[in-house]
Amino acid sequence: MLYSTIRDILVSAEKQFGPEDAVRYKIKKNTIESKSYTQLKQDSESFSRALEALGERGSHVAVTGATSYPWLVTYLGTVGCGSVAVPLDVSLPAEELCELVDRADVTVLVLDEIRKDVAAIVKDRCPKLKHLVSMQKETSDEEMLSFWQLLKENEGAYEYEADPDSLCTIMFTSGTTGKSKGVMLTQRNLAENATCLDMKIPPRTVILSVLPIHHAYCLSMDILKGISLGSVICINDSLLRVAKNIKLFQPNMILMVPLMIETMAKKLEEVSGLPPKLVKWQVFGKQFHTICSGGAYLPPAMIDLFNRYGITILQGYGMTECSPVISTTVSWNIRRESVGQLVPNCEAKTVDEELWVRGSSVMMGYYKMPEETAQTLEDGWLKTGDLGYVDEDGFVYLTGRKKNLIITKNGENVSPEELENKIGEHRLVQEILVREKEGVIEAEIFPDYDYIKKKHVKDVRAALQEIIDEYNQGAPAYKKVYSLKVRDTEFEKNTSRKIKRY
Amino acid sequence: MFEQLVDVICNYVEVEPENIHPESRFMEDLGFTSFDFMSMLGELEDAFDVEIDEQEVADIRTVQEAVDYLEKLQAEE
Repeated sequence: MLYSTIRDILVSAEKQFGPEDAVRYKIKKNTIESKSYTQLKQDSESFSRALEALGERGSHVAVTGATSYPWLVTYLGTVGCGSVAVPLDVSLPAEELCELVDRADVTVLVLDEIRKDVAAIVKDRCPKLKHLVSMQKETSDEEMLSFWQLLKENEGAYEYEADPDSLCTIMFTSGTTGKSKGVMLTQRNLAENATCLDMKIPPRTVILSVLPIHHAYCLSMDILKGISLGSVICINDSLLRVAKNIKLFQPNMILMVPLMIETMAKKLEEVSGLPPKLVKWQVFGKQFHTICSGGAYLPPAMIDLFNRYGITILQGYGMTECSPVISTTVSWNIRRESVGQLVPNCEAKTVDEELWVRGSSVMMGYYKMPEETAQTLEDGWLKTGDLGYVDEDGFVYLTGRKKNLIITKNGENVSPEELENKIGEHRLVQEILVREKEGVIEAEIFPDYDYIKKKHVKDVRAALQEIIDEYNQGAPAYKKVYSLKVRDTEFEKNTSRKIKRY
Repeated sequence: MFEQLVDVICNYVEVEPENIHPESRFMEDLGFTSFDFMSMLGELEDAFDVEIDEQEVADIRTVQEAVDYLEKLQAEE
């Protein structure tokens, strides 16, 4: 069924599945706790009431942390009362996180205390921030409010009818110029993207959520679609323990990025001497049947490999600006070379080889970035930056990329310019080009040989590696540089004296 | 500890055991992906009966650093 607001998704799921488990998570090594659909709705409404009590209804509320029950309640409670949720990447350096909090005009920040470093500086860095809420603290104090105390003090129902076309979420995505952009999504954008396609997933399907929740793919497909179907959403507590958590939660389905799928393929192939069915039982369990892949390109060979073990891989394609799904394969209609069929709320065309899409999931624009918005949206069409086409049956085929972004195998978008600017600040680096090579980020550097002479640097490579190591220390895992190439000559330039990238 | 770790490493990457050295870097030299690395650490939790903190392992780069970290955890248990 198609829903146009996130609130409608939650209310309808609660009506149908009230006392059934909505969320399961670990509280100790092998101990699972669960929350029902009724509890999830009640707690979300209590959070909405808390925002109203703080005078923050309608404000921008940022949330940062690993996937957790408090994270979900914060998100649903925020968008369920007309406020705007700003999910932030918990792995970002503290200064960068603060910059986003400030840029998104956030007045309430709900954070996991693994980011104590952020809590320590955020109020100084962000003058607009009024309230800091801890997901773990049991009682509120002058510095930080307690999430749990807020819920308790504001317990009760909250009635709200959301306007489908109101802004409800700002999600940051890497910009091609190095500065991340806040993608503004409405209730309709997200709700219709999550519910417009009937994938024939039965109610009460057990989903293990392993992807970072600040990404649109996880939020829309694991959480919003999961809730709309009355699924049991199990929270993976750490990427260290995916294999163990599969055994513990026994999911039917997992959303993954290609990087994870490739590692899981190794696990399947590691078990030798058993029939494929038993191998699958050993690695994924008897009940497991589907992986949804998104975020980056998946080699078709992986689909065949998993198929041999009785596991279906459904491949999707999308971008945050489209809430995020543009196309997906469904189990009864797979074309190997395609990234799936357009979802029902999306149409597409090709303009100068670039794929443009239009529909109810296309964003409002970038937050406070009118120029970037005008470059990306034209008469309601979203320019994807990907080269490709759609066949007569609506199947999407990608042929290349127009935008200068590295899409890593774990679905993260990395702006080469951002890394080039940071590493290039060093005096020893005269020119630098960052790109993807064999699955890792590579920096190719033309060092300043005059400076090297002047400073009597003996081992140029080692000196450059030191610069890379220093950069890596402060960078999130997906932005780390793992390959270094040193040049003897300058890069070839185009007519505007810019380095030729391709 | 080093030999046990080499055995586990060989399940994730196609490198001959004799080419794995204490100073080998997981990503750059052995070809690990970040998720391979995390999965391997999860496997080592069971093998060495320790509990690994995701935040603490972010800076581990070489096989020797992993050995040192695991030995430290075992000593604390």
